[in-house]
Amino acid sequence: MDFFIQLFTDPIGFYNSHELLIAQIGVNAILAISLFVTFYSGQLTLANAGFMAVGAYTTVIMSLYLPLPLPIDILAGSLLAAAVGFLVGLPVLRLRGIFLAIATIGFVEALRLGVILNLPITGEGQGLKNPTADPLGGIVPIVISLPLIAYLVWRLTHSKLGHAWAAIREDELAASSNGINVALYKMIAFVIGALLAGYAGALETHINFFVDPTEYSVTRAIQILTFAVAGGTTNVVGPIVGAFFLTSLPEIIRQASAYRDVVNGVILILVIIFRPQGIVAGGGLAIHRPRWWPESWRFRGRPASVN
Amino acid sequence: MGALLQLTEVRRHFGGVQAVDGVSLQIDAGSIFGLIGPNGAGKTTLVNLVTGYIPTQSGSIRLGDDGATVELGRRRPDVIARLGVARTFQTLRLYRNLSAFDNVLAGMHARRPQDTLQQIAPLPAFQHEPRARLARASALLERVGLKPDEHGPRRAGTLAYGDQRRLEVARALAIEPRLLILDEPAAGMNPVEKDRVRDLIQQLNADGLTILLIDHDMRLVMGVCNRIAVLNFGRKIADGSPATISSDPEVITAYLGRQADKSGARVPGAQAATVTTAARPSVVAAGAPGGPNRMLEVRDLEVAYGAIRAVREVSFGIDEGEIVALIGANGAGKTTILNTLSGILRPLSGSARFLGVDLAATSPDRIVRQGLVQVPEGREVLARLTVRENLELGAWVRRDRQAVHREIEALNQRFPILGRRRDLPAGQLSGGEQQILAIARGLLARPKLLLLDEPSLGLAPQMVDAVFDVIRQIHDEGTTILLVEQNALRALEVADRAYVVETGRILLTGSGAELRQNPAVQKAYLGG
Repeated sequence: MDFFIQLFTDPIGFYNSHELLIAQIGVNAILAISLFVTFYSGQLTLANAGFMAVGAYTTVIMSLYLPLPLPIDILAGSLLAAAVGFLVGLPVLRLRGIFLAIATIGFVEALRLGVILNLPITGEGQGLKNPTADPLGGIVPIVISLPLIAYLVWRLTHSKLGHAWAAIREDELAASSNGINVALYKMIAFVIGALLAGYAGALETHINFFVDPTEYSVTRAIQILTFAVAGGTTNVVGPIVGAFFLTSLPEIIRQASAYRDVVNGVILILVIIFRPQGIVAGGGLAIHRPRWWPESWRFRGRPASVN
Repeated sequence: MGALLQLTEVRRHFGGVQAVDGVSLQIDAGSIFGLIGPNGAGKTTLVNLVTGYIPTQSGSIRLGDDGATVELGRRRPDVIARLGVARTFQTLRLYRNLSAFDNVLAGMHARRPQDTLQQIAPLPAFQHEPRARLARASALLERVGLKPDEHGPRRAGTLAYGDQRRLEVARALAIEPRLLILDEPAAGMNPVEKDRVRDLIQQLNADGLTILLIDHDMRLVMGVCNRIAVLNFGRKIADGSPATISSDPEVITAYLGRQADKSGARVPGAQAATVTTAARPSVVAAGAPGGPNRMLEVRDLEVAYGAIRAVREVSFGIDEGEIVALIGANGAGKTTILNTLSGILRPLSGSARFLGVDLAATSPDRIVRQGLVQVPEGREVLARLTVRENLELGAWVRRDRQAVHREIEALNQRFPILGRRRDLPAGQLSGGEQQILAIARGLLARPKLLLLDEPSLGLAPQMVDAVFDVIRQIHDEGTTILLVEQNALRALEVADRAYVVETGRILLTGSGAELRQNPAVQKAYLGG
C-alpha cells in the first residue's frame, strides 16, 4: 500500500526511489505495445522476445566495437529487429492462431539456442558485459519514448492501416472482399511489432550492465503476452496498464516477489475468468460471472454479468 | 447493353468432384441475374471463383463492358474487389465486434486515400477528409434502410439478424462496386423481411448496379431477376427468363429428383389436375397423439440460431415401424429438426419425446444409447480410417465386442460394396459407397429409430437407387426411419407418410402417395 500512497502523495520521491522499477515498467510497456500491434491485427505471436534479443545484442555489440553515438546503435538494433521480423514473417504469417504462436516460439528458441549461444560475438552462453550502460541516464529515453509510442500506436489504430487491421482480426475472408490486402497488412503489423520489440530490447540494455541470453526465452515471450492480455487489448492503454500492474506487483506485495511467476499466473487466470476483456476495456468495472459460478455467490452491489 | 461479367467454360474440381464443370454465362450490365440450383450444385463455388477465393483451373472470367475487359481468374480476392466486384456471404461475415459504422468504414478501404500520416498529426487542415467519409458511411447505412444514429454506433453482432444482412450489403456497397454478388441474402428471413430484401435489390438495381443473386427462395429469385441460370452437379442445365426456367422439365427434375426409372419420371402436379382436381391438400392434424406404438412425439418445436428462427411451431409424430419423410427445399429447417432430435441442438421451446425420453434434456450420447441414431448429412465418414475401423467406431457405445464383431461380418455380407473394401480408407470410396458405410455405421449402434439426413445428396442416379434399396431393406428388417430429403419424389416413394417443410414450418402432410400427386409440393420447392 505504501507503494501507491507514495506514488500519489510524493511523486518526486517515488520517482527517485523507484527509478529502476519505472525504467523496467517502461520497457515492459513498450514490449506489451509491440505485442498489442500484432494482436490488433488478429495475430497471436510470441516472437517478440526474439526481436527484443536482436535489438539488445545489436545495440550492445555496436557500442562495444563501433565508435558511434548510442542513439544510432539503438536505431540500428531496432531496424535490424524489424528486418528480422520481415524475414520471419514471410513464412510464418501464413499460419493463424495457435499455430502462429507455436511457430513464433520456434523462432525465439532457434534464435537463442541456435544463433546467440553459438556466435562468439554474442558471448555465447556467457552473455555480454555492457560497460557503457547507464542505469540512471537510461531512464530518460524510456520515459520519453513510452508516451510517444503509445500516442503513435493509438493514432495508427484510427488510420486506414488500423481499420484494415481490425477488419482482418475480425474476419480475414471478409476483409479481402473489402479490397484489403490481408497478407500485406498482416506483414506491416508484424514488422511494426518487431521494430517496437527491438527498440524495447535496445533500451533495456542501457539500464543493465549485462546482456543475459536467458532473458530472451519463451518465458519472457509469455510474460509479454501476459501484460497485454491482463491489461486488455481493445486499446493501447490496456497493455500499458497490464505492464505497470504486473511489473510493480513484487513491489506492491513484497512477500510475493519470490513467487513472482506464480502470482502472475494466478492473476492471469483470474483476469481471464472474471474479466475476459482485460483490465482496461469497455463495460466499466463490471465483473464477468462465469457460468459455473453459483448465482447466490453474486458480487454484492455489482452487475453480475457483462455480455 | 453489353456484358459486365462473362464466364467461359469455367472449371474447378476438388479431388474427384467436379464442383464447377465448364460453366459459361453472361451477366448483362444493369441486370439482375439469378443463379439457382439444388444444394451442392456449385453455386457458392462459382461465386468463390469469380471473387478469387478459389483459383479457377481452366476457363476465363472477364469483367468489363465492351471495350476494356479484365481477366479475373487467378487474381487475389482483394484485387478483384478493387476492380469492382463486391459480395456478401451466405453465412454472415460481418466484423461482429466492430460498430456498424466501422464495418462500413472498413468496406471503404479500397476507396480511401492513405491517411496514416494525417492521423498521426491530426491538424485541423486534415479534418475534411474523415468528415466526408463519415457522411458517406451514414449515407450508405441509410441506403440499405439502417438508421445511422440508432444502428451506426452499435456493435454489428448485436444488431437484429435482418439488419446484419442489410449492413453486409452496405459494407459491400462501400467499395463502389460495378457488380454486387448477393449470396443468399434472404436466408433465414421471415416473409416481411424478405419483402424488404426484394425492395432493396430492386432499388439498388434501379440506381444502376448490376446484381448477381443467389437464393433458395424461388419467389424472391423469380420475382426480381431478369435472367436466371440453373446449376446442377456443377453444370449449367438451363439459362433464361424466369418464366422459361420455372417450366423447364430438367430444372424441375433437378429440384424434385427423379423417381426410380421403373416408374418413369413424373412431375408432381402434372397429373394432379385429372386425379385430384382442385382438392385441398389433405392436411392431417399434425402431431395428433398416435396409438400405443407411437415412438417419437414432437410438439411445437422452436429452434433458433442466435437471432435466426430456423424452426417454428413444428409438431409431428412417428409410429413404430414407419418410414416418415421430411421433405422441403434447402434451408427449410429439416436438418435443424434432426439435429435437435439427436441432441446436438437445443430447442428454444416445445418438446420432443422419444420412447418416454425427453430429448431436449438428454445428452447426445445418451440419446444414441436410447436407440435414436442419426446418419448425418454429407456422410461424415472418417476418410483416413478404413471401412472396418469406421464401422467399429459406430459400435463405440456398445460393450458386447463379440456381437459387434459378428454384426460387422454380417454387414459386410449384406453390403458387398463394403465387404470388398473393408481394408481401404473410407476416403477412397465413392460418394454412394460412403453413404452406405455411414448408414451401416449407424446400424451398429442398434437404432430403434434411424434418422437419415439427405442420403442421396450429391449422388449419381444409379447410386441413389442403391442407397434407397438399402433404406427399404433396413426398414423391412424392422427399423423405424425418419428420412430427410431434398429429392422429394424418391423420398415419397418409400415413405409411409411425409411432412413438407417450408421456411421452418410444416406446410402440409399426408401419405407418400397423396403428396406425390399434390401440386403444392412443387410450389414449396420452386415457388409459384
